[in-house]
Amino acid sequence: MQTWDMDLEELKEEETNLPGTKLKTELLTVNMGPQHPATHGVLRVEIKTDSEIVAQAIPHIGYLHRCMEKHCEAIDYRGVIPFVDRLDYLAAMSQELTYSMAVEKMLGTEVPRRALVIRTIVSELQRIASHLMAFGTYALDLGAFSPFLYAFDEREKILTFFEEISGARLLYNYFWIGGVWNDITDRQLGYIDNFLNGFEKELVKYDKLVSSNRIFQERTMGVGTLSLADAHSFGATGPVLRGSGQAWDLRKVDPYLIYDELDFDIPIGEGQRGSELGDCYNRYIVRMLEMVESVKMIRQSMKLLEPGPVIGKVSKVIKVPKGETYTRTECPRGELGIHLVSMGDKTPYRLKVKSPCFTHTSILPHIAPGQMIADFVASIGSIDIVLGEVDR
Amino acid sequence: MYSELITSINSAVTNANATLVTPGEGEIGDSSVLINPESVLEVMKFLKPLYNALQVISGVDYTEYIEVCYFLAHFDPAAPKDVMIKTRLKDRVAPKLDSICSVYLAANWQERECYDMFGVSFNNHPDHRRILCPDDWEGWPLRKDYKVQEVYRGMKVNPENKMNRDDQLFEDNKQKGNEADLIAWALSKGL
Repeated sequence: MQTWDMDLEELKEEETNLPGTKLKTELLTVNMGPQHPATHGVLRVEIKTDSEIVAQAIPHIGYLHRCMEKHCEAIDYRGVIPFVDRLDYLAAMSQELTYSMAVEKMLGTEVPRRALVIRTIVSELQRIASHLMAFGTYALDLGAFSPFLYAFDEREKILTFFEEISGARLLYNYFWIGGVWNDITDRQLGYIDNFLNGFEKELVKYDKLVSSNRIFQERTMGVGTLSLADAHSFGATGPVLRGSGQAWDLRKVDPYLIYDELDFDIPIGEGQRGSELGDCYNRYIVRMLEMVESVKMIRQSMKLLEPGPVIGKVSKVIKVPKGETYTRTECPRGELGIHLVSMGDKTPYRLKVKSPCFTHTSILPHIAPGQMIADFVASIGSIDIVLGEVDR
Repeated sequence: MYSELITSINSAVTNANATLVTPGEGEIGDSSVLINPESVLEVMKFLKPLYNALQVISGVDYTEYIEVCYFLAHFDPAAPKDVMIKTRLKDRVAPKLDSICSVYLAANWQERECYDMFGVSFNNHPDHRRILCPDDWEGWPLRKDYKVQEVYRGMKVNPENKMNRDDQLFEDNKQKGNEADLIAWALSKGL
């Protein structure tokens, strides 16, 4: 607000307020965040505004920096799992999966078949839970309150299941190196089956309530458009890249777990319902369609579940051989990569997390100029960032 | 695996000096391509048509040199490929590299993070600031010889009364084998 005071002094001197003369204007700097409900955490964006239009947006991150990468250099390989949980706290299972896959790749551990299937089921449920959160809060950002309640109702059912298998609601420590911590029972499978049956009907409701809502469409269509070339250059992945129209999904391109045995499609943005390719609506609709695919995948994986052990043979003290690896998986928010360097010790020598949210936040200054402030809020919501992962 | 790529890099960029790095005896993991630090920008310009996305820039401090790794990927379902390009910086006082922001837009924030954590400066970077730490923070946190500064803006960093020493105390007592002490300590903590 200091620029305004300066302006006033100048106005008095020059008497530009006289009738017939043009008012002098200047860009106004407004801080959005770090405590702002629409920034999904502690993101601060320094916005230079020309009345209601954003002229420049500079994100300032690091408010949630917890030195996770430095900490991991001092704790053993099993101890890192609770740390990676806290990166993207809305999709903790997916983070654990990537980390344990990286360590298993280095150790050469064979993960039992049942553990692979359980991992697939749980990761896909986590994807639904994460997308529900994105859907609910996105509608909330745009002024619709009830979708948030519907989404949380369904998400709660998934969290109840996770609580039952792991003992925690958000930060699970469920995927261990070599498999999963606990087996899931037939009763719990029945619970998932029940949930999926109800959830499919809910998806139709969301579609009627939000996706085909005229106001919602007006707020998101043609807003925050990201071209495919820019998406590539920024290294965008996940729903942001698919919203720009490319069918790139690691589950299909470089299958891990049991994804190569499952039959599913990759939803992409195609300018659905008259939207512009790569805009907020496309990114949103990709997430909604992905939930339908996840339901399909969980149903198929449940049929593949056979009795057996759920954790492979891993030595009591894990010592990873010397070397390095870069492992990536498709997380709900995009590709998560783990660069693990080992010197043959009990602790990682270096653990670098390539966070999709970090990459996507760097797109904001590119799409912001020329938007209304309210549209900028829609843009932040559509890339679906979690600040725990941005700052690490 | 990358032999064709290495030959084409060497023929396109003079003094790129690209060599293959493979896991040695008793080692495991991915192979990568090592290039000369001076030729980073030219090599990236050459690789841009082959790999359309820069995923991440990761630094590793090996104490005798700082290694900067560029993970490139080609986002095309028909022909997916990826490669790790590495370069080694011997100078620990003021390591310098050419910025590749003009080639990949993603490099902007990734290079800022590398600067923030390892102190690697990037020539011609459009916005050369720290990103995760405060702008006036001292030192490069992810280097192996990093010591946390004692005072930041008149505030003591890591004050004694806020450090959690419980784990350390427990381990110390356990190693001594002093069971009575351990029980007394646990009781004092209300465990």
